[in-house]
Amino acid sequence: MKKHVAFLLGVALLAGSMTACSGGGGEDEPEQKAGSTGGSSVFTGDLEQNVTIRVLENDTAISKGYFAELIAAFNEAYADEGIVAVDANMDQYLDLANDGPYGYGPDVLYQANDVVMQYAEGKHIYPLPVEELECYDQIPEAAWAAYRTEVDGNTYYCGVPVNVQAPMLYYRKDLLPENWEEEWDADGNQVPDMIENWTDMYRFSIKRHEQDPSKYGYMKSLYDTYFSAGFLFTYGGYVFGDHNTNPEDIGFSAGEAEKGAQVLSQLAGVMNEECIDDTITSNCYSKLADGTYFATLTTPDVYSTFYDELVMAYEAEGMSSQEAKAAADENLIMTTVPALPESGDLTEADPVQIPSKTMGGINGYAISAYTKSPNACLAFVEFATGYDRIMKRYEMLGIAPAREDAALQAGGVSAELYERLENEDTVLMPSIKEVAQIWTPAQTFFTDLAKDAFRSEADKKYPNLSAMKSGLEQVDGQIHDAIFTLK
Amino acid sequence: MRNKIKWSRALDTGITYLLLMAVAFVFFFPCLWLILASFSKSGTIYSFQGFFPQEYSFASFQKLFMDTTMYNYPKWFLNTLFVAVGSCLLGTFLTILTAYTMSRFQFKMRKPIMKTTMVLGMFPSFMGMIAVYLLMTQFNLINHLWGLILIYAAGAPMGYLTQKGFFDTIPKAIDEAARIDGATNFQVFTKINLPLSKPIIVYTALTSFTWPWSDFILPKLLLKEKNLYTVAVGLMSLDETEFARFAAGSVFIAIPIVILYFFLVKYMVNGMAAGAVKG
Amino acid sequence: MEKVKKTKIKKKEAGFGTLFKKGSSQVHMSMVIMGAGQFRYGAYAKGVMFFLLEAASIWYFISRGFKDLQGFFTLGEIKGDAWLGVAGDNSVIMLLMGILAWIILAAFIYLYRLNVRDAWLMQQRVEQGKTVRSFREEALQLLDKKFYITVLVLPVVGVCVFNILPIVFMVLIAFTNYGGNIVPPELVDWVGFANFGKLMTLAQFAPTFFRILGWNLLWAVLSTALNYFAGLGLALLLDKKCVKGKVVWRAFPVLAYAIPGFITLLAFKFMFSYGGPINQMITAAGGTAVGFLDLDAKWSARLIGLLVNCWISTPSIMLLATGILSNRDESLYEAARIDGATRFAQFRKLTLPFVLFSTMPVLISQFVGNFNNFGIFYFLRGGLYMDGYFLASDTDLLINWLYNLSIDNNYYSIGAAISLVIFLITSVLSLVVYMRSPSYREEDTFQ
Repeated sequence: MKKHVAFLLGVALLAGSMTACSGGGGEDEPEQKAGSTGGSSVFTGDLEQNVTIRVLENDTAISKGYFAELIAAFNEAYADEGIVAVDANMDQYLDLANDGPYGYGPDVLYQANDVVMQYAEGKHIYPLPVEELECYDQIPEAAWAAYRTEVDGNTYYCGVPVNVQAPMLYYRKDLLPENWEEEWDADGNQVPDMIENWTDMYRFSIKRHEQDPSKYGYMKSLYDTYFSAGFLFTYGGYVFGDHNTNPEDIGFSAGEAEKGAQVLSQLAGVMNEECIDDTITSNCYSKLADGTYFATLTTPDVYSTFYDELVMAYEAEGMSSQEAKAAADENLIMTTVPALPESGDLTEADPVQIPSKTMGGINGYAISAYTKSPNACLAFVEFATGYDRIMKRYEMLGIAPAREDAALQAGGVSAELYERLENEDTVLMPSIKEVAQIWTPAQTFFTDLAKDAFRSEADKKYPNLSAMKSGLEQVDGQIHDAIFTLK
Repeated sequence: MRNKIKWSRALDTGITYLLLMAVAFVFFFPCLWLILASFSKSGTIYSFQGFFPQEYSFASFQKLFMDTTMYNYPKWFLNTLFVAVGSCLLGTFLTILTAYTMSRFQFKMRKPIMKTTMVLGMFPSFMGMIAVYLLMTQFNLINHLWGLILIYAAGAPMGYLTQKGFFDTIPKAIDEAARIDGATNFQVFTKINLPLSKPIIVYTALTSFTWPWSDFILPKLLLKEKNLYTVAVGLMSLDETEFARFAAGSVFIAIPIVILYFFLVKYMVNGMAAGAVKG
Repeated sequence: MEKVKKTKIKKKEAGFGTLFKKGSSQVHMSMVIMGAGQFRYGAYAKGVMFFLLEAASIWYFISRGFKDLQGFFTLGEIKGDAWLGVAGDNSVIMLLMGILAWIILAAFIYLYRLNVRDAWLMQQRVEQGKTVRSFREEALQLLDKKFYITVLVLPVVGVCVFNILPIVFMVLIAFTNYGGNIVPPELVDWVGFANFGKLMTLAQFAPTFFRILGWNLLWAVLSTALNYFAGLGLALLLDKKCVKGKVVWRAFPVLAYAIPGFITLLAFKFMFSYGGPINQMITAAGGTAVGFLDLDAKWSARLIGLLVNCWISTPSIMLLATGILSNRDESLYEAARIDGATRFAQFRKLTLPFVLFSTMPVLISQFVGNFNNFGIFYFLRGGLYMDGYFLASDTDLLINWLYNLSIDNNYYSIGAAISLVIFLITSVLSLVVYMRSPSYREEDTFQ
């Protein structure tokens, strides 16, 4: 349902959506801390007194009660100034560019970097004096880079990173074979091999399905570009050139990206037809819970949905609700994505494994340029990105913090994600508006690739690497068309 | 000979009922599916055995009405009701009057208006939505339910052709007789034609009620605050894991229309057949 | 009867020049100050009303109207920059308000002429020795002879503001460079026919356009015919004397009607998906899953689209046809029965012409609605770009393609240009059909 909203929103977005000046992203090295940064001159530091600021949070934060706690704490802290933060009470997929100018947008918004930066290009959000913020030194440059833009030679940061989003592998420990320590732990590191690399995941999937034809190993709808693109990135593919800033250079077929396509197509071979459309995306929660699937790939924010389903399934098996919760805590595991064989062939024995890349994003706060009280908003952002609040956020929502101190304190997956971000294994979604054009062409290709696994030999469209390469080149061409033909 | 007729009658009746049953099945089955899905205990459609859930419960409906912190369905429902009733009353009024006028009066602009409205309907509507949104921001009508009513009602007369077709079949002889008796055109309309047009009024009311009832795009465009949402917008904003709640919400939204139908159906079928003067 | 009325209307109207020459001082006064002449003739209420209208118009034009008219041509001169605190001009709003100002100007000119003419009519009445009509008389006329004016004012104003204005806006957008990078706060400019030139010269454009147009026409014809005859057939079936419990039988389609269309579409999409119940049954019976709607499924997806659309639209046509059928002249059927006409002959000779006549407009609006049916393939099979199509799939209708181009890709001006082209084609087609139809030409067939 939500997906359709995102699409249909187009209708709602319309008029002023997106941007003014294109290009403009900083193409300098990510490590380099920007020289001349600065916030907008509206940030004088004088707090506006007795104002109400409307804050747009994401739905999970609201439904889990984190947001209510956050604004309560903020309102108490700023009671003397009379600053009150309230829920903006709007759809989380809002359109600031279109609502803001007429006074219907929020003052502070929490969004993914690609969304925030589309607003930055049209100057719908303010550049922030980030260096003055307490969190500045704690957040790695890679995360800040997601919010960086360059206008007239000056570098600006238009958002404050809160957490990292990237695809995660979910699996159930209790579905591992009894003897996995002997058979599925070749390196003896106490981590099952199929969780460590795709070659073994592939092998295990075949085995599991052979033993019981109603069961599957790894399952995932492949059409979804957000998840499938990482396979291409691992072998040299990318979205846009020059660190995702140059829309002229589209790189889905770059390097040896076709190897990634081959991996996907081999994985499709061990799934069923449901990987062609969005079936698995919606049924993975219940199918992982009832044991039909062993593992799937999705984002960290849906952990609780898997968890609730699994608890229900355990309860149906006769456990008490406490036992069920304990068992789900123990068995439902979310981890970073497995490594990929360098050869791009999952059937190869003893391959060299390379770390796999994924697409990802940085969620964070931004301040609308249409707000009447920017300094109060900045105070809110400062407050909400403090160590205590971020830790609280981690505890209540299970997010992976972008702050180093919080990530280290949280440990586990959060720390791993933080590390992957620093190593650039998490490739951030481009922060330029042309990114809107990549989804449909790529999605069509991935659907076709998945379908190909179920076509007869004679009908196959992508029987070999070179066919996959030309398929990917066609995707690049389509994206280029979509961006430039009518420009 | 008599026997033969009897036989063919019986056969005809039999075939008629068979067809009716087939039709009823075709229309009812998907609805039944949705209804049962909304009572599914597991809350997901993928645990179904074939078409239907294995276990049933009222949990989804309970959640729909009680758990309103994120998704305030009762509020959405009232909003929708307000908008639908408002646009139904206003829209029906305007449409019927327009159609009647276009059918009964001869004036200079009549044929041009008929042609223009015919043509205007062809313009891809969503392209015009940009302008509607901008217009509403200028009139400060964003986040107002009656802003929606205004647009629905204003757009309703565009569909007057159907109703005009109906009025064209009511004989003008009655009007003229009344005019000779000294009735004004206003009286001719209210006292004579209106009572004869029950079926088409009911049809118009029903359609102008259902349209805002199920429309998604316009409310999405004009209502930014969550507690002003209509049911259609609200349902679309549900998280994708909330299937049972979605189904429950979709089933419940159909109830008022079904009630309205049972309430109005009698006016729909015995309008003219009751035996009016025929020309 | 119609002819009599027509000649009455075509009474010769005096031109403005004549009015100026022959008009009394009162008419001349009305030319200067609206309502003054009427006032002098003793029609005080009317005079004051005209005067107030003039005052309101002048106030509007001074306060913003003239600026809006100017803005219509410039589309803004100062570019806004929120970072520097520059407010700037919003070109799109300026265009919109500019159009509104033109409409108000036209209304004002119309009112002005009405005012002068009204004074002229009063003058004539006085010259002929009649008394000037009182306000009460005129008001009563609005309920009688001029009833149509009273009735049409509201709908016409509503349609002008919320239907015509947006359409004019979009048509004008086709002549600007609005879209892509050029959206507010950037300034939009007039570009003349450049967008149409771009469409003509674009090599990828024409093949896709004609391919989609072909399918779109086929779709519109097939789905209209299917829905229409299914709805009519259903109404006739339920109208049969032998059917007992009509209210209940009719309730089933109404149930379908009661569920909002987008929910139905999502439900059907799920049913035909790989994980849906239909495929579940197929695989349970040992078959392989069928991709009813996937990217190879050109014709099966089209067929499902047709059927689902039929499922959604039939109930409302049935309801309408039911209402219309109840308006039949029973005595004709009795006469036919006495003459020994078979039931089929009765249907062909009496029912069909009657229903066709009164539902012709419905048929046309159905055709238009189906031609521009955005939802059906958007929900059933969105998000695919096929080989051989430029940013579209093989089930997409023109309106879906338009959506891909203009909304997904933000090319508003190109989208507007294409919709203008589509609009011209479809409107000419349907106008021709409509003007030839009996319900337009012989409106009193069934009188």
